[in-house]
Amino acid sequence: MTEVERHSYDVVVIGAGGAGLRAAIEAREHGMRTAVVCKSLFGKAHTVMAEGGCAAAMGNVNPNDNWQVHFRDTMRGGKFLNNWRMVELHAKEAPERVWELETYGALFDRTPDGRISQRNFGGHTYPRLAHVGDRTGLELIRTMQQKIVSLQQQDYAETGDYEAKLKVFAECTITELLTDPATGAIAGAFGYWRESGRFILFEAPAVVMATGGIGKSFKVTSNSWEYTGDGHALAMRAGATLINMEFVQFHPTGMVWPPSVKGILVTEGVRGDGGVLKNSEGKRFMFDYVPDVFKGQYAETEEEADRWYTDQENNRRTPDLLPRDEVARAINAEVKAGRGSPHGGVFLDIASRLPAEEIKRRLPSMYHQFKELADVDITKEPMEVGPTCHYVMGGIEVDPDTAQSVVPGLFAAGECSGGMHGSNRLGGNSLSDLLVFGRRAGLGAANYVSTLSSRPAVRQADVDAAARLALLPFDPPEGSGQPENPYALHQDLQQTMNDLVGIIRKAEEIEQALERLVELKARMRRVVVEGHRQYNPGWHLAIDLRNMFMVSEAVAKAALMRTESRGGHTRDDFPQLDPQWRKTLLVCSSAADDELVPGVTVEPKEQEPMRQDLFELFDIEELSKYYTEAELAAHPDYRGAAAGSGDEAGKEEA
Amino acid sequence: MAAPATAESTTHPSGIPAPEGSVEVTVKIHRFNPEQDEAPHWESYDVPALPTDRVLNLLINIKSYIDGSLAFRRSCAHGICGSDAMQINGINRLACKVLVKDLLAKKGKTTITVAPLKGLPLLKDLYVDMEPFFEAYRSIKPYLITYGNEPTRERIQSPAERAQFDDTTKCILCAACTTSCPVYWADGSYFGPAAIVNAHRFIFDSRDEGAEERLDILNDAEGVWRCRTTFNCTDACPRGIEVTKAIQEVKRALLFRRT
Repeated sequence: MTEVERHSYDVVVIGAGGAGLRAAIEAREHGMRTAVVCKSLFGKAHTVMAEGGCAAAMGNVNPNDNWQVHFRDTMRGGKFLNNWRMVELHAKEAPERVWELETYGALFDRTPDGRISQRNFGGHTYPRLAHVGDRTGLELIRTMQQKIVSLQQQDYAETGDYEAKLKVFAECTITELLTDPATGAIAGAFGYWRESGRFILFEAPAVVMATGGIGKSFKVTSNSWEYTGDGHALAMRAGATLINMEFVQFHPTGMVWPPSVKGILVTEGVRGDGGVLKNSEGKRFMFDYVPDVFKGQYAETEEEADRWYTDQENNRRTPDLLPRDEVARAINAEVKAGRGSPHGGVFLDIASRLPAEEIKRRLPSMYHQFKELADVDITKEPMEVGPTCHYVMGGIEVDPDTAQSVVPGLFAAGECSGGMHGSNRLGGNSLSDLLVFGRRAGLGAANYVSTLSSRPAVRQADVDAAARLALLPFDPPEGSGQPENPYALHQDLQQTMNDLVGIIRKAEEIEQALERLVELKARMRRVVVEGHRQYNPGWHLAIDLRNMFMVSEAVAKAALMRTESRGGHTRDDFPQLDPQWRKTLLVCSSAADDELVPGVTVEPKEQEPMRQDLFELFDIEELSKYYTEAELAAHPDYRGAAAGSGDEAGKEEA
Repeated sequence: MAAPATAESTTHPSGIPAPEGSVEVTVKIHRFNPEQDEAPHWESYDVPALPTDRVLNLLINIKSYIDGSLAFRRSCAHGICGSDAMQINGINRLACKVLVKDLLAKKGKTTITVAPLKGLPLLKDLYVDMEPFFEAYRSIKPYLITYGNEPTRERIQSPAERAQFDDTTKCILCAACTTSCPVYWADGSYFGPAAIVNAHRFIFDSRDEGAEERLDILNDAEGVWRCRTTFNCTDACPRGIEVTKAIQEVKRALLFRRT
């Protein structure tokens, strides 16, 4: 029998980024004994890297803003593939969540009259992002960390124990979820302490997954080491489904030089505050890349774009602020056409646009980042930037209102959940997403637990199996051949995903990637790590690789199946948006054919049509760019096939 | 096991790819494995390095190609999360923000020494127990304290009021300041600069009503009066916070309160 430290909780939250902490606070406030488990130190989550801000239609800077405008912007940004109910909840609740965070003590930049200031960002019609300079994510995490410390001190005053109701298990990794074999419901979670290597078991009827993204499967990424798709893979292995996995956001502006910092993010706030993209000829090329669906919504001349910064009522915004997928593709095309910067990116110029002092005041982190890491003074010279893997739109399929997955007791929020952002996320919508749905997941878990009459039991056999799989890299099966270094295997996986399932995709390359994944998975069986269990990073990576392989297979298989281009999924061989695909979700689940790294199966599923009152928030002209003729007929302004755009699919149906 | 070498890159004897323009440096690391070592010892690794590489890149390469068991913390890798504070050539720095070019010897081969933070219990290699540091942080009540009803929207705070404590809100809790403080080394019960910085962040926040409680805590025997104004903390801060100045402002608030 495995030696394991046992704990019992009402709710276990996996991940201590914004979504996890907000879920934990909510569960604790509803009387649940709550554990938060995280791979890093408490307070060091990936959320700290969010720079731009938190989108919420508070209307502090432009009173014309409201939830309907935010709803429309988000659906447009996601190319209408989003789960509309999540988008609705998000747009309606984000302002309350920001004000609530302010009452927790969060710092914000202020308007002259002392309210929370809001800044412009790509895809948002009005200045909408509540922010603190360019360190909004850091402040958001710090505030919730502070809130948890205050709750723990309250609990101490009442019970004499700081951790009576809410405990953080830092530097602890969960490797498997445990379920009740009869009902499939969550029974617990199994993992290990990173420091000692000892096993730990949480018996709990509810788990909130808040593990973030998958970027570490790609070579060039802005993501930190924790982003190995743990929540995505653990959920699939426990029987949950993932949606939208083919949509991976490449942020248009990552650092491209020097090599040691390639991929590190340059905030979109640079463009929001006046920075513009230029090619090697000094041309502001974004004006050439406004796609048909956004025609008329963006400035057509440099003069108009520049006037917009000071007069937004009478001018349209610069195309430098198109949604991220559009800008990333444009940069890719400029570099391919030979008009790139010396190190393979393009130029992002704020030096010639704002006084040096203003740049330092508005973008202090960016100023220091370039000064210290690239020896570039952004107040004097342009930056060199290019696309970097940044965010996965895909994730665990959940009920929008409760955040529960198809597995009873398994909830998800933040980047590891799917649906909210459709095919492309707008900048600023992730911090608001994790506050809105972090809270809903914590609430959903608390409600679920309080309705249970009995708790599912953890089976010892499942604990033993989880322990055996975790220890496999110390003792691979006899005769398995040449030992594999987990770091080398990880590099090969990253190279494969970057080269073959990256920003521009085609069928042959994705098929090649899938073949390589089969070979790499075979090598996974032979991974051997040196040393002992105490803080052994090689072993930790070997365990994380199981998750990265599952997630990579989900991305590649869904990308192959979706024969169109939309948002964060661009097919060179199918360059057009296809209205037939708009209402189709690709659902990934575990094939359960292997215990170490199960295969992934992908099935199409029809998305539920948008509720009528929300549908009518859009003009039919705009909808006709995305919807089939048959779907458009439900709109009150529908005047027959002639009113539509006449797309191919529509004609067939009309 | 090496990654495919690019056209302009060769492979160093360590197995680490050596791109054009790289030089060989020696990284001398403080190693300790409690499962097998009686005491810590130094180990040296010859590795290729570009002048633009950061010390963190060298550590990751050593871990990936030479010794997979080398333990150190890191997360965001560009100075925001505050996970990888350590002593680099004797000075507390974030490994992700120190460039090799700033450490290269004028003559001969460069040696870069890397050791764990001083004053916190050593767990393994560069990995220290941060709990005493966080305990001090928690003891100064690092959260907004208010009385009366919560507003339905935001509390009003003018840009000028907001600017007053901006500097101390930049703290990333990396412990570089606290573990550079000679008073903290000598007596671990001193709160240390980081905890005082975080108290300052709330004491000078116009929305907060808990200044008195915090000042009482900081007036304690282990509080601000232990500070000997050596400025080590200000020099060590990777965020450029004027730590000593913040501590002085807290001292002044205490004195002002008494008169």
